[in-house]
Amino acid sequence: MKENLESFFQIKYPRFELIFSVAEEKDPATALVRACMQKHPLVDAKLIVGAVQVGPNPKVNNLVQSYQGAKYDVMVISDSNVRVAPDYLERLVSEFDLGTGVVTGVVAGHAPQGVGGHLEATFLNTFYARWMVLSASLGWPTCVGKSMIFSRATMDRFGGIQNMGRYLAEDYMTGAAMQKLGLKVKIARDPIAQIIGRHRFEDFWNRHIRWGRIRKSQAPLALFFEPLCGSILSGALGAWAFKSLWGVHPLHFLTIHLGLWFICDALLMLVLKAELKIYTPGVWLARELLSIPHWLHILSGNTVNWRGNQLKLNAGGVLAEGGSK
Amino acid sequence: MFIADLHLHSNFSDGSLAIPEIVDLYGARGFGAIAITDHLCESRTVLGKAAVYMNRSLTPAVFPLYMEILKSEAMRAWKQYKMVLIPGIEVTKSRRVANHHSARVLGLGIKEFVSADARIKDICTAIRAQGAIAVAGSTKRLWDRRNELRDSFDAWETTDGRKLMTDVMKSEFPKLATSGLHKPKHLNSWKTVFKCDRDPQAILHAIKTQDIAFTYYDEATNDIFEFVNVRDLGINGLNHPDRYRLDVGSLSLRSIKALRKKRAHHQTAGLDLEAAQRRRERDERESRELFPN
Repeated sequence: MKENLESFFQIKYPRFELIFSVAEEKDPATALVRACMQKHPLVDAKLIVGAVQVGPNPKVNNLVQSYQGAKYDVMVISDSNVRVAPDYLERLVSEFDLGTGVVTGVVAGHAPQGVGGHLEATFLNTFYARWMVLSASLGWPTCVGKSMIFSRATMDRFGGIQNMGRYLAEDYMTGAAMQKLGLKVKIARDPIAQIIGRHRFEDFWNRHIRWGRIRKSQAPLALFFEPLCGSILSGALGAWAFKSLWGVHPLHFLTIHLGLWFICDALLMLVLKAELKIYTPGVWLARELLSIPHWLHILSGNTVNWRGNQLKLNAGGVLAEGGSK
Repeated sequence: MFIADLHLHSNFSDGSLAIPEIVDLYGARGFGAIAITDHLCESRTVLGKAAVYMNRSLTPAVFPLYMEILKSEAMRAWKQYKMVLIPGIEVTKSRRVANHHSARVLGLGIKEFVSADARIKDICTAIRAQGAIAVAGSTKRLWDRRNELRDSFDAWETTDGRKLMTDVMKSEFPKLATSGLHKPKHLNSWKTVFKCDRDPQAILHAIKTQDIAFTYYDEATNDIFEFVNVRDLGINGLNHPDRYRLDVGSLSLRSIKALRKKRAHHQTAGLDLEAAQRRRERDERESRELFPN
């Protein structure tokens, strides 16, 4: 995390302010931020400790004070597991024009460790990246909270960030609200580098149950057809069709189908500057095979585990009142 | 005196325009009031669920965003155009796809979410409990139950875009003319004329007391700032803002006859005089049917 936080102090931009928001003093990031601030006294930075309870979404609660106290109108929200380049702001701002409500980016997983970490990186660099680009090209309001630039004046037109506190996917709803205002939701050319680090298998599983259930509450039809966009179910259907129509052996079809699919995904990983290793095909196949039970698990409930809280998700991505249960 | 359109759809349901775009569309044309009334469908029926899945309906989840955007746009509409923006909904109950099987209730001046799953009478009660008014949409399903629902509604829509609902026009029920705009091309349609202050409560009160008149707005031939539409209704001296001496209450629906004749007259300016004559005869026939006396 230290390197990630440090990268924000390396940003080159004429005039900007860095605000770090932590919910409580005992957060491990607090000491790291203070150390960085001491190391870079010329960077206009401040640390805000304390959450304002505006709804069940802890991230939004954490951001309210920073949102209200920021010096400038144009704001960028980023997570602590994101590492940015020195020209990050310059490149992001260059895509943010008058008709645009928010500019976000495709998340690229880097430096994974452990089984869960590798599965996570593969998920982000293949399936998730593909979905983001597809949904953006279809005009759906895809927006990722790991990096989004917007104007506070525009955000205030739908009640400010505090109005997002009732939603679990505050980023998606921000994009949706911008579209309702007739503004564009853009995907930046540069991917957002998320440093994955060490993840256990259950971390990966629970995280994507959460993301999947958010998708289920926001766009249930799209989630229902999601497996058809993966290699396994489409491969099985293709194998059956080719066997019925032309007598092609299912194993031959599946080998070619999965091989071609992997090549496309590997190209996407290269575009996202992800590391390709000798074991990448194995991790990729495991992730693809897990996608079906994962999808069934997502369909089986409406609760999500986030930051140690079990939260109930209602239709439209609204968190049940009372939050944790 | 001003012209208002109180039944408009934005991209929160099946409209093609965003709320700010609607504000600019009407504001730039000098309208005095508009109401955004997006569809709010049932959550239990198949058609209602389909509308929700396809983002064609307001839901409890997006309703707070809808209201916030309406609030901020109402402020901008007033500041920039001196136009009132009234928050509204169109509760839509559909048994089948065909329009005559659906029941639509406009809620004008709403503040909170209303469930479309309740009975029509209960929906009207819920709307009125918020200080809003309930207007019956121009659908056969509601009109067939008009005597039973008479007391539930504050007014009945008498137009369906460009079409005049003759049954409603002839009746003694309180009326309201709106466009039901989904796309900019629906702008040419029937509108309501108010003489009250540009204030949401005054507008809702005027609908209840029927201190209103109707006019046909046509972009191609009329200049809204000079109130040519209203002059067409038979009122003189409206071209100068300091000479507005219009008793809107005295505007009877019979004036529509004059408007229709006037429109037919305008159309004779075209090249096809025979067609214009046919149109005029048709208009007169319709007028006789509408106002036998």
